[in-house]
Amino acid sequence: MAVSAHRAEDGSNGGPAGYPPGVLAAAVLATTGMSFLLVGSAALWLRGEMIPVGDADVVIEPGEKNMQLARAALAGLALQPHAVPQAARLAFLDIVTIMTSYGKIDCLLRRGRLDWDELRRNAQVVRVAGAEVVVAASSDAWDLRRRFKEVRR
Amino acid sequence: MSERSGIGAVQVAILAAIATRAGRGFRSNEKMLSQAEPEIGLAPWYAYPVLVDLAQPWKMPVTLIEGRGNFGSRGNDPAASRRYTESRLTDAGRVALAAERRDLAPVPVGLINGTTYRDGTQPPFRPLAVIQAMRHVLRHPKATGQEIVGIIGPPDFITGCTVSGDLAAFAAGHPTELRLQAKITISEDRQAVIVENIPPNISTDDAAASIAMRAEETADLSRPAELREATRLDVRSVRDEGTSHIPDGRIVCKPAAGTPPEQVRDQLSRVYGVYTMMYVALPRSLPATIRQWVRTNQAEDLATSLTALETAIRSQPGPRY
Repeated sequence: MAVSAHRAEDGSNGGPAGYPPGVLAAAVLATTGMSFLLVGSAALWLRGEMIPVGDADVVIEPGEKNMQLARAALAGLALQPHAVPQAARLAFLDIVTIMTSYGKIDCLLRRGRLDWDELRRNAQVVRVAGAEVVVAASSDAWDLRRRFKEVRR
Repeated sequence: MSERSGIGAVQVAILAAIATRAGRGFRSNEKMLSQAEPEIGLAPWYAYPVLVDLAQPWKMPVTLIEGRGNFGSRGNDPAASRRYTESRLTDAGRVALAAERRDLAPVPVGLINGTTYRDGTQPPFRPLAVIQAMRHVLRHPKATGQEIVGIIGPPDFITGCTVSGDLAAFAAGHPTELRLQAKITISEDRQAVIVENIPPNISTDDAAASIAMRAEETADLSRPAELREATRLDVRSVRDEGTSHIPDGRIVCKPAAGTPPEQVRDQLSRVYGVYTMMYVALPRSLPATIRQWVRTNQAEDLATSLTALETAIRSQPGPRY
């Protein structure tokens, strides 16, 4: 069952309905049919955390068919579509970052290959502007953030 | 980072290589970098992108190298090969190098230029404001943090975009995410909405592509109505009018029939590219940074070096102080 996303009361860092761009990016991705789950600050925001949302971090479900869907979806959204790797390469890459009109989307491919089943088991579908987005559990999102965010900065 | 100018070690080595070989004239980058490889410690293939950064006037407020030839654009055009470009130092480049060689007291070039142009976290500041703050602290060693922050002001990007975010937290030394936004105006005849002063961390080509893509997506009826509403951009045409004379971009958007330009202006402010986010941080608070720089270097003739830097900055073409 899907739950509805809360909205930022002040619309801070948000879009028209108070959704931050990273959350809207996930909603748009969700309408493309590719299978992914949202992690990172956007996931935590949707889980009710008071957290600034920068980009969208998504873990993509492994598998040939989903890689093809992902490739098509990402190329459709990317400002530089030719920079999106082919589906066959996505199956081996760790992370792919694309720039879209909603900001940056970090696609965590290796994390999907390693942890998809466990992350998906704890995840929940959240309705964002009418789109159904699979969102990681808070504990999983925090765990990934602790493991990678500090290292990146 | 060099303690005397605040610029990177490789950058200093490149400035020295150019000063030695080019003098006041232009010289081929291929020749200079090949000859200087043993001194720089980097093959020309690696050194050239650093040189290009220092020569692109839209990257940082104090340009250290003057380039001749195709040095790329604010769009996605890269610089031409080093075989086809030439360089010499700008006045500011000469001042920075003089400080490095101890011919002059230190100058705060690194603090002014920041590091965000090369994906670092220190943003640039208004050059003359930094110099003024340094002079103020020299004259009034007990100047308050508020005074210093008041003189320097917020981070100031060379493209002229507006900056918002928790600026007080940033000045206090806390890592902060800034929102950078292009200027959006409505034309006098209300037939167009114009986007200018594109943020520095996106190319003008990508910003135009982002607007055009969002406008196209608005027609995608497969999306849920609420999502379509949340992401719509009611624009019927997008024209990129950026030229070498308008390096910070000029994108002209014509509103769809019946759409008020004010509505398009609001919609545009939510398109990535028209705005961007930037993570910034200083090693310590802004007042502490200024005070420490002055304290560390006050035994030298800072008044002369700051004046030399100011003069050099004022001599830059198309100055924005």
